[in-house]
Amino acid sequence: MVDRRDQGIIKRRRLTGSEQKFALLLVAPGLSVLLLTTTFPLVYLIWSSFQNINLAMPFLDGFAGLDNYRAMLTDSRFWHSMQLTAIYTVSSVFLQLAIGLGLALLVMQIPSGQWLFRIVAILPIVLAPVVVGLFWRTLMLAPEFGIVDFIVRALGFESVNWLGSPVPALVSVIIIHTWQWTPFAFLVLLASLAALPPDVYEAARIDKASAFRRFIHITLPLIRPAIVIVVIMRSMIALSAFAAIFAATGGGPGTASEILNLYAYKTSFVELNFGYGSALAVSLLMITLAVSSILFYLRTARRT
Amino acid sequence: MPGIPSNRSLAKRLRAVVLFALAGLLLMIWVFPLIWAVLVSLKSESEVMAYPPSVIFEVTLQNYRDALFGGVSILPSMVTSLIVSTATTFLTILIAVPAAYAFARLQLRGKKWLGFYTLATQMVPPVGLVIPYFLILNRIGWLDTYQGMVTVYLTFSLPFAIWLLVSYMEDIPREMEEAAFLDKASRFQTLWHVILPQVRGGIAVTVIFVFLNAWNEFLFAVQLGGNTVRPVTVAMYNFVSVEQTLWAKLSAAALVAMVPMIILGIAAQRQIVKGLTVGAVKGGGRQ
Repeated sequence: MVDRRDQGIIKRRRLTGSEQKFALLLVAPGLSVLLLTTTFPLVYLIWSSFQNINLAMPFLDGFAGLDNYRAMLTDSRFWHSMQLTAIYTVSSVFLQLAIGLGLALLVMQIPSGQWLFRIVAILPIVLAPVVVGLFWRTLMLAPEFGIVDFIVRALGFESVNWLGSPVPALVSVIIIHTWQWTPFAFLVLLASLAALPPDVYEAARIDKASAFRRFIHITLPLIRPAIVIVVIMRSMIALSAFAAIFAATGGGPGTASEILNLYAYKTSFVELNFGYGSALAVSLLMITLAVSSILFYLRTARRT
Repeated sequence: MPGIPSNRSLAKRLRAVVLFALAGLLLMIWVFPLIWAVLVSLKSESEVMAYPPSVIFEVTLQNYRDALFGGVSILPSMVTSLIVSTATTFLTILIAVPAAYAFARLQLRGKKWLGFYTLATQMVPPVGLVIPYFLILNRIGWLDTYQGMVTVYLTFSLPFAIWLLVSYMEDIPREMEEAAFLDKASRFQTLWHVILPQVRGGIAVTVIFVFLNAWNEFLFAVQLGGNTVRPVTVAMYNFVSVEQTLWAKLSAAALVAMVPMIILGIAAQRQIVKGLTVGAVKGGGRQ
């Protein structure tokens, strides 16, 4: 135990200001690297969103004012991509949460062998999203030879061009994303369920509460922090999902699976219009900030 | 009576078996694509295109030989990924550990805002960085260089590492530091001899996450790399763009590229889950 005299020494040491200096010394490298590698490029991005920077037509380069942003307002491809971003994010996060929670509740009921499920669940998480996209594009979803199409036809349905027609392509990229990241929700929720105190259940069981009511009134409120964290983290990731969609459909066919993230990318690196691409990226940044602040606000507001 | 289970325990056991089977069936959704990829990688290309898809076939290792030692060997790009990921991980830990300690434990004016800033940098969509980085690196001649790639990778690894490490550092009992202070240990000595040994586990988890994310990264790699720096994710993508239909070779190469991550994932499964959940489980108590 630390006695009062020792407390005094510690306190004096904390107040001498040497702590402040030492702390500054420790955070200085991290903060300066972040300023240089993240904030500076972001400022550059915002600056370039007010410029004409087109590597295909460099003679037009120069200050553009609000032109890029004004163009966005009447750009139907932009509004389409916004719509797809909303559909993609909301549906994939919802599916991950619903399936992940269902699976976690199911596995919690199993008395032994949970480790097996945890190992299996780690596999999709550690795969590179680009590899996941490529696997699905070829082995799983390719027309005729893909295993999914084989199963569909074996069940007596017509062959579907999963990635080659608009609606199935959007559904496919949502399924691919959900496939890869549901295990994340599953593992987080499983850990959070396993950490719950068993005595609250005992009390409820004595009260003869039904399983459903136990879930709604006891389990759900207790694991709400974990659910909120899953929703926040997965929404951020879904909003800027890239590699799996890029590998599976490239945003196509046409623009059928082109979420805003891909549109900003293609405008910059395919059409070489970096000014407009920057403006699109800035709008994605704003959306990400807005969504995360709303979610964080809900997280703190609902607790009190 | 021993030996003969009562009705009740039999029902209980039956229920467990049914639940296990049900959960197992659901989990097949996640295992199946990988098992299928393994099967395809062991087929000849003509066997891959057989209809109906064959489950029993003549196993060949030719695809793996081609992926490793053939004309478009995957090994050079694996070496590239190893260099980039290792350098990123090393630099990240070097910078993140002291910063995390200061955030978790020391008094620092404006700490709250600096912490918020760090968290905010983590949320920047990568496409918002790849555009300016392309223009900036192009200007200073750092496109397709190792220093360029590692610099860019710090943008996602550093904020993440700092926050993960902060949550581990907060768990260290304060008494340990205070005891060190009373022994007149310098602040640096305290960090080095008292704090660091305590967060070895946390550092290990951070290393795993940073390395994994760097190895699997694609957007920066495809746009800011090139012939010199071509990480394994880009090599995979290029392979499919050129050889659309060589699925067996693709599967073999992709599995080889992912094997280090799969081994890492299974070996460190417990730690990874802990890292994933640190925010979720602790998030309940922390504002």
